[in-house]
This record gives sequence, C-alpha cells and structure tokens, in this order.
Amino acid sequence: MKKYILSLGILIPSIMFGQIDRSVRPTAAKAPAINIKDSEVFTTSNGITVILSENHKLPKVSFNMSMGASPLTEDSKAGLSSIAGELILSGTTNRSKDQLDKEKDYIGADLSADKESVYLSCLTKHMDKGLELMSDVLMNANFPQSEFERIKNQTVSSLLSTKSSPESMANNAESKSNFPKGHPYGEIMTEATLNNITLDDVKNFYKLIFTPKGSYLVIIGDITKAQATAAVEKYFSKWNGNMAYKQQMPLSITHKGNRVIFVKKPSAVQSVINVTFPLNIKPGDKDQLPLTVLNDILGGGGFGTRLMQNLRENKAYTYGCYSSLNINEFGSSFSASGNFRNAVTDSAITQILFELDNITNGYVKDEELNLTKMVMAGGFARSLERPQTIARFALNIIRYNLSKDYYQTYLKRLEAISKEDVLMMAQKYYSAKNCNIIVVGNEEVLEKLKQFDADGIVEIWDAFGDQMKEMKKADITKDQLIEKYVLAATQTTSLKAASKKLKKFKAFEEVSELTIPQAPFPISSTRVWQTPNIEGSKIEAQGMVLQKAYFDGKTGASTSMQEGKKELTAEEIASKGKLIGLFPEMNYTKVGINYELLGVENVDGLDSYVMKVNDGKSESFDYYDAKSFMKIKSLKIEKDADKTLEISSQYGDFKDVNGILFPFKMAIIQGEMSFNIKVTSLIIKDKVDLKTFK
Amino acid sequence: MKKIILIGFLSFSAFSSFSQKKIEYVEYDLPNGIHVILHEEHATPIVAVSVLYHVGSKNEKSDRTGFAHFFEHLLFEGTTNIGRGEYSELVEKNGGGLNANTSQDRTYYYEILPSNQLELGIWLESERMLHAKVEKTGIETQRSVVKEEKRQRVDNQPYATFIPEIFKRMFQVHPYNWMPIGSMEHLDAAQEQDYVNFYRTFYVPANSTISIAGDINVANTKKMVEKYFGSIPKGEAINLFRDVENLTDEAFLAKYKVAKSKFDLKNFNANKDPEAKKVIDLYTAKPSVIPRPAKTTEAPKGVQKDVVYDNIQLPALFIAYRFPEQTNPDFPALEMMNEVLSGGSSSRMNKAIVEKKQLANYAFSFAYGLEDAGMGIFAAIASKDISLDTIQVEVDNQIELIKKELISQEEFEKIRNQFENQIVGSNSSIAGICENLADNYVYFGNANRTNNQLDAYLKVTREDILRVAKKYLTQDARIILEYLPKPEAATDAPGKN
Repeated sequence: MKKYILSLGILIPSIMFGQIDRSVRPTAAKAPAINIKDSEVFTTSNGITVILSENHKLPKVSFNMSMGASPLTEDSKAGLSSIAGELILSGTTNRSKDQLDKEKDYIGADLSADKESVYLSCLTKHMDKGLELMSDVLMNANFPQSEFERIKNQTVSSLLSTKSSPESMANNAESKSNFPKGHPYGEIMTEATLNNITLDDVKNFYKLIFTPKGSYLVIIGDITKAQATAAVEKYFSKWNGNMAYKQQMPLSITHKGNRVIFVKKPSAVQSVINVTFPLNIKPGDKDQLPLTVLNDILGGGGFGTRLMQNLRENKAYTYGCYSSLNINEFGSSFSASGNFRNAVTDSAITQILFELDNITNGYVKDEELNLTKMVMAGGFARSLERPQTIARFALNIIRYNLSKDYYQTYLKRLEAISKEDVLMMAQKYYSAKNCNIIVVGNEEVLEKLKQFDADGIVEIWDAFGDQMKEMKKADITKDQLIEKYVLAATQTTSLKAASKKLKKFKAFEEVSELTIPQAPFPISSTRVWQTPNIEGSKIEAQGMVLQKAYFDGKTGASTSMQEGKKELTAEEIASKGKLIGLFPEMNYTKVGINYELLGVENVDGLDSYVMKVNDGKSESFDYYDAKSFMKIKSLKIEKDADKTLEISSQYGDFKDVNGILFPFKMAIIQGEMSFNIKVTSLIIKDKVDLKTFK
Repeated sequence: MKKIILIGFLSFSAFSSFSQKKIEYVEYDLPNGIHVILHEEHATPIVAVSVLYHVGSKNEKSDRTGFAHFFEHLLFEGTTNIGRGEYSELVEKNGGGLNANTSQDRTYYYEILPSNQLELGIWLESERMLHAKVEKTGIETQRSVVKEEKRQRVDNQPYATFIPEIFKRMFQVHPYNWMPIGSMEHLDAAQEQDYVNFYRTFYVPANSTISIAGDINVANTKKMVEKYFGSIPKGEAINLFRDVENLTDEAFLAKYKVAKSKFDLKNFNANKDPEAKKVIDLYTAKPSVIPRPAKTTEAPKGVQKDVVYDNIQLPALFIAYRFPEQTNPDFPALEMMNEVLSGGSSSRMNKAIVEKKQLANYAFSFAYGLEDAGMGIFAAIASKDISLDTIQVEVDNQIELIKKELISQEEFEKIRNQFENQIVGSNSSIAGICENLADNYVYFGNANRTNNQLDAYLKVTREDILRVAKKYLTQDARIILEYLPKPEAATDAPGKN
C-alpha cells in the first residue's frame, strides 16, 4: 500500500487529482514572532499625559481624553455624572448645540462624551477641525438650561424603558447588591434621584471632574509624533483646571450565605440569572492573570468553558452562559450570567452554583488549563492588530503603576501558571456560598427560588435595585379605612358617637422630650391645638427657643434661630386651612384633599394600609396598622423648587386621654436628621394662647 | 451662498486626496466551482480564513424555515474527521477565534488564527464543506440552543419583533416573509433527512466563496487551498462522496448499482476502478442546482396600519417603505437620503423630533438592503406621554420635506464626508477586509468594490436624492406599525403601582 501511493506520487507529482488523507491534521508552521509596538508617552505642562500609538493603515485618527478623577458618590443625586456626561456636547460658549452638531457631522467625525471623557475620531485630513471642536467642548461647555430640561425629560422616559429591559434590571441589581451605600458603583439613578439633580450640580460636576491635571490623552492612528505634539500644544495647552478629584471608597462587603434577589418582569419568557459577588482585587494585582485563567476555564468565553459545556452543550438550557470578572481600580466583582427559559430557571441556578463550587474543590484538568492558556495567548496575539490595544497597554501601565514590561512578559507569565495556582485562586476568591443570586423574570419562577436563599426569604427588588414595595389589594375602601381609624382612636363604635365625643374635645397642650443623636443636651417641645385648626409649636433647649411656629386659622409664621421669622405663604395657609378637626381625615372630601387607598404593604412583618394623600402642596403616604387601624407612620414628601424633602414620622405607645388615643412616642426622620419624641404630658384645655408661639 | 460653494469646492478637492491604501488581492475559480479570494498583508501575524455559502433564509421552503441559520449552529458539531465539540476546540487551542453569521441571503463562517495555523484553518473549513456531521445528537442539541437564542434575542427583547412584523407584511410571496431565525415549530417538525437534504443542496463547491486575508504568502496559500478544497468533488459528485461515507453497502449498491468498496475516498478524483470512475464522471458532470427565489416586485398595495402589543413601557412607531434591492443603482442615493434624515446628531429626524419638539426619545431611519429587495424603515420611540399620532405627523412632515425640496448644499457635503469616513473605517481589520471581499464578490460580482465602494456614493447628486425620495417614499403604499405596551406590562408603570 505504502509503495503504491509512493509510486503514484512519482507518476503524478502534482496534487491536481486531489489525493489526500483528510484524517491527517495539519501541523503548525513556525510560530510568528509577536511584537508589541511601543507607544510614545509624554506629558504637557498643564498636566496631561499623552499616549500616542501610530498606525498608518487607514487615513484616520482618534483622540480620547479621559479624566484622572475617581468616581464620585452621588447619593440622593444618583445619576448626576451620567446626566452631566450627556450634556457635555450640548453647546459651548462659542457654539450652540446645533452648530456643534452641524460642524462635527459636516466632517463626518465621531465626537462623543461621557461622564469622564471626550472622544474624537475622524479622517486625518479633518483633524484640525475635529480638535477645534473637541477642545472647545473640554474647555467651554456651557450647559444651557433648555438642554438640561430636555435631557432630564428624556431620561425620565429612558428610566421607564429600563423596566422593559431585563438585562438593565439585572445590572442594576448586580451593582446594588455588590457595592455598599456610598460607593459610586452601587448607585442607580431613579426618577426621584433624577429630580434632585439641578443645573448647578451639573456645572459643578464639570468644573470638578473635567480638568487637565491628571488626565490622559490617547492618540491613535495616522499621525506622527511631531504632528501629535504640535496638535496637543495648539489645542490643549490653554486648558486649565484644579487638581484631579479623588475620594475614598467604602469597602465592599461580601454577603454571608446566599441571598436571592428577585426582580419582577411580567410575561417574561426567560429569566435573566446573575450570580454575583464582590472581589477584593485591583487591576495589576499579581493574582489578576491566574484569576483570569480560572475564570476563563469556568465561563470566560468560547464554547469549551465549564458553564457553556454544562448549561448549553449538555443541557441546552440556554443560548449562552458566561462568567466575567470586573476588575476596577475602585471595586471589583464576579458575575456568572445567562438567559434561561422559565421552566429551567431553578435547574440553571443549581448548575451554576455547582460549577462555582466544583472548581474550588480540585485541580482543573491539564487539557482545560492548556486550552485556556492557548485561548488567552491567541486572543492576546490577535488583539495586537488593533492600535487601540497597544494604546490601552500603555495607558494601563501608567494608570495602574504596572511594571514597564508588564505586557512584554504577559505570554511568559501566562505560560507559567499551574493548576496549583488556579486552585489557589479558586479557593481564595470563589465560593458558591456567599453569592447574590439575582433573577429577573416572570413571577411564576419565584416560588422555586426560595431553596437557594440562606434564610429562605427572597428579596423582591424593583427595576432600579431598590426593595420593592409589595402591595396587596386592600379589602376595604378608603372611606371605610378612615372610619375604622376614627372609631379606633376615639374608642367608639359609630361615627355619630365619635363626632359627639370629638365635639367636646376643644383644645390641648402637649409637652414632650426630644432626643437628637447629634445634640447631647435635653430639648423640650410644646405643642398646642385648638379646634378647628389653630395650632402652635415650639422647641426649646437650655432656656432658648430654637424654633417656633403658629397658625391662627387665617395666618401664621414660623421663626427659627437660623432663618428668623417667616410668614406663612398663601399656599401654606391654604394647605393648613384644610386640616380641620382633630382627625382631618374625616373632612378630606369636604375640603378637597385628594386621597387614595393604595393597598396593603408589609413593613417589618406587619401589614399596613397605605393611603396616599395630596393636599395640593405636598404628598404623603399614611400607614395604618391592619389590625388596630391606628395610624402608625406617615411619610411626607415636600417639594421646594427642584428639591424634595422627605419627612418620615412614626407613632407608637398610644394612651387614652379623655377617651381618645394619642401617640406618646414618636420618631421623626427628616433628611439626615432624626429625633425621638416622648410625650411627658398632654393636658385637655378649653382654649389655647398662641402668644408664646408668635 | 458664495461661502457654501467654496466649502463644497474644498471638500471636493479633499476627496481626490483620498489616501486609503488599496487592498490588493488575487481571485480565481477552482475547477469544482469554488471562488477563491486571497489578500496578503503582513502588519500583524494573523490570518482570517472564511467561507461564504450563498444560502440564507430566502432559500428555505415556507414550511421549513430557520434551516439556514440552524446550519450555522449545526456545522460546528463536527465532521468525519473532527469529533463532536472538537471543531471550536481545535481553533481555540491553537490560539484562534471563530464564529459564523446568517442573513436572509448568505451564511458566513470564519476563523481568525495566528498565521502559522493557516493550514489548520483551511483544513477545518474544507472539512465543513465536504462532510460535516448532520446527525441526530447534534440536531437535538442545537434545536434547543436555537430556541433559547430566539427567546433571548427576539421574544424577551423590547421592540425586537418589529423587523419580522414588517417583513411578513411587506413580503407575502417572497421568502423574505420570514426571518433567518425562522419557526421553532418547523425545526421541531423537520426530520433528520430534511436536514441532510439541505446540506446536500446548498453546501456544495459551486455555492461557495473562500476568502483568506492577512499574513499569508499567496503562492503557498494557493497550494493549501488546492490541496484541501481542490480535492472536493465537483458537481453532484460531492454527494456521491458523502454517500460513500454515509450509506450502508446495500443502500449504496441499490442507489448507484456499483459496490461501495470500489471507491477510494483518499483518491476520489483519480479513482482507478473503471466502474467507480464512470459513476464519478457521471456525477461530476451533473451540475449542482441551487434553488433561488426570483427577485420580487412585491410592494404594499396601500397603507397598512396595525397595532402590535409588546412588553414595553414606551409606545413606538415604525413606518416601512419598499426600497429596491441593494445592487440597484438607486440604492446608494437612498442610503444617502437616509443619512440626511438619520445620520448623526445634526440629522433631520434627530433635530426635529428628538431635540426640538421632544416627541421621541429616539428617532431614526435606516435603509435595509438585501439581495432581492430592500426596505426603508423609520422608527421612533415615544417620549413619555406623547401619542404616536403626534409623532407620525412629524415623521410625515420630514418625509414630505425631503420629497419636495433638494437637500441643501451643506447637507450634501456633510453626507458625502460621512460616507467617506464610514467606508474608510470599514476596512480597519483583517477580518473586516476578508468579509467585505467575499460579500462584494457574491452580491455585486465585484470584489474590487471593497476598494471603490465610495465612488458609487460620490456619483450621487442632490437631484438623485430628490428623485429617489419621490420614487420610493410612497405615502399611499407603506406599512405602519404602532407598538403599544401589553396591558399587563402597563400595570407595572409608575403611578399605577
């Protein structure tokens, strides 16, 4: 046989006739050398670090200016940086937005901006025009009010569409579950936080963050070093600003025990599952490369990973299941996620947790390790085609303080990683026991999720990563609720009897002790009331009146040490005038206050009716205990221009005074202030004197 | 006015200084009908190997939709010489990446490898063409995977059904009626033999184009292509080869009246047995017949307005017009018209509808060009509390305007610059060049369009744009879809909690 083929080979020297043994796999030719081109790096006198990666393949060039600031805690204004980022291209002191759009489209350029960078890409021949626009935006953005309003309105709509995107919902929950309060990575914009953002906030943000000091300018493409240096000098040397903003970040806290978070997506046909936890690692850490190898074996990409093989190739639960590492300077996390049809949602979680646990229990197979290392080496080599990669390497070395040869030695370090290293990474960083298990999906899958939660209680979150206020339908009407409340508080059995009792109740004076965490000295409060709506209050400490207020039925004022005396506005008078009687609820309809029973909400294990009340000036949510019908909490939301103020009052320790139940304990939370009130005396009177309150 | 003309003149002169390096390539046909395109470039030591099969969802039967895309999945399952699951592993462990995609018109497979693995890539693709495994296990697995893909990409995505909803109304006869993802019921109903037949019909040399780009040596690459692809039997002989591999002795004898043992698969094209040679010659002479639908003139007969309920919060409006096929001389003008309406933030749709009147969060349009027909689609996702009727009035205003007046000289210069920027950018990677060469050869019969695509756009005049706007934006023949929130999704909206 062998001889025959050989002789045929001599007779017909070409392969024209297609003689071929296809089962013989081709072997590789000599491996090509991998060169990482150096980038040019230089700094400017105003503090910009410039990184240049020349590439003359296409007649195009790009400039990316990114800021050196750390992210910023936004708290009640979550979303500020993204709104500001959207507004950076809204016009400058030299150009309106229309002009700017027109000029950049005219040269066919991409000019974009976000909260921390401005990016330009254009044909090299249009570079000067492009840079003129880019530098104008960086130095002279002027944030017109009209654009601010437009972007805010548009964002309200986008927030609404978050509710139709299961991926966005899962991402929001991931951020909130991994990062503690106060960490910028865990802050999610909602309609409420959006409303708190003012144009001044945006302008201040721009001033604070957009500064040449500490910024990085990455230039890529068809440009020489001489041209780049001249362009930077011409367009960016006049840019000035303060030092780059830096802040401390709170540490991420790993949850103890698995915690299931469910986000409702009505009529979803698939569940988005995201198993996630924070990681304590920073870019450039020596663990980063072996940890990446570990993660790539688990589910980092390709069809051969454990998650993909198990959940797609073997079980066909999904189109794709991947795990990823987000390693950032200010906080890192792990996530394994995919979309799974409703019926296999619980099975998919079981398998993801199994794989996560399994990889911590023993060495990975040699084939797996070698395959992954080859995949990573190949990916690394292929990525070098893009000049963006070369520039990113240079930027990372500077930003994360990596050794100069970090990328030159990348392949050597990768090759040296052993299965012992991989197991060590798994045991150090991975666990299937302290995960946030996020499921966005149809409510039909909810019941099957309890088994995965350490305490068996699934948290229900909304689309923005906040606890969902689950509301059951009320079994009574809003007027029945008011009636039951009045009967309970007056301890009567009919409204007629209650009215009779209340008629005798003309006035009272209540004295309380106030405790404020911030104030070590005792504070006392006095409150008087007289039918139908006369009232006065004052707060005193150490013999001084800190604050007083009154309303005599027609007019009133408030006086405080800080702000002096302020007469009530017409709006405030109208609002106070509507609160008639000891139980103003009884007169809501008569005086034109809107009220609506929203349903029954479970708060700390207790069911409460929730009534939404709007008196035309402010909105409040009143909570009535479902058993006793007493009002136990009131959440008032006051709007002042574009600010909102939330005042939460809780009531307890109800005591009988002349046959009517009064709360003798109250807790009030107002913004960052909180105080507890203990009533020391409540005296019935015929009438009150407002003199000391004026 | 004088100033604008000057800008126009400057901009025109800028075009002539257009300095993109020409993409050099060689192309030729193998005797079995495979078209080969090779582009040599040594900037990075990588190579892209691709095969384009001229089969897409439009080649499917109406009761077996989704096949073309299904094959894109199935053909990673292995071949006679590559075990199940090994195909991608071979690429990945040799430092490569791979993927595939399917449209209405074609299926495209590619590997990107370190350049010393070029032969591996060529072997892998030739294996896929000659004798992929089309078998039960792989079919079952990929069926479920494709179903999940559809759930993820279409069913669970807001607004994602607007394209299929428009196509099925626009094309009631032509197979553009359905999308590449196809019908899951059809995939379930199909038997193994249906899949085998699809492979035998469309995965043949005469229906394929090989494109290889990157760090290669053309002469060596030609030899490798000859070895692995040149040896693939011509015409119907490829299916004879497959039958030798797959049929039992009895079945083979019954079908061909020659014993299977007389065939030597390693030397198929120079088989020494005279009986076998006769059969091989007979089947080699039988050309492959590729079923292709006729180009269609179908268009909406009037205004068809429908409501679609989806899991969305914000209503959206979609308006579709019939455009010609992508190779039609009018198509570049339509694309440029579209750029005026929707290209960049200074475009008319964005300025008028999103920014000035704030009726929509997004408003855009696109020209959808396919081999047999095209479409122009206008889309707007409403701002909160804005009715779709209000939006439609404004979209129609924009359409009427572009049909009535020449676009300004400034807009004209702008879109020319925008096209230049886009087209230059489209050849930035080896993988991109590889795909552009193949697409341009197959659709336009001209691989060199990769170099001179811009010319077609630079020829377009303002008058052309006005003419095509009038011709194709037919207000009395179009499809209008209103996307509204499903009742249960709406109850989740704020204020109704």
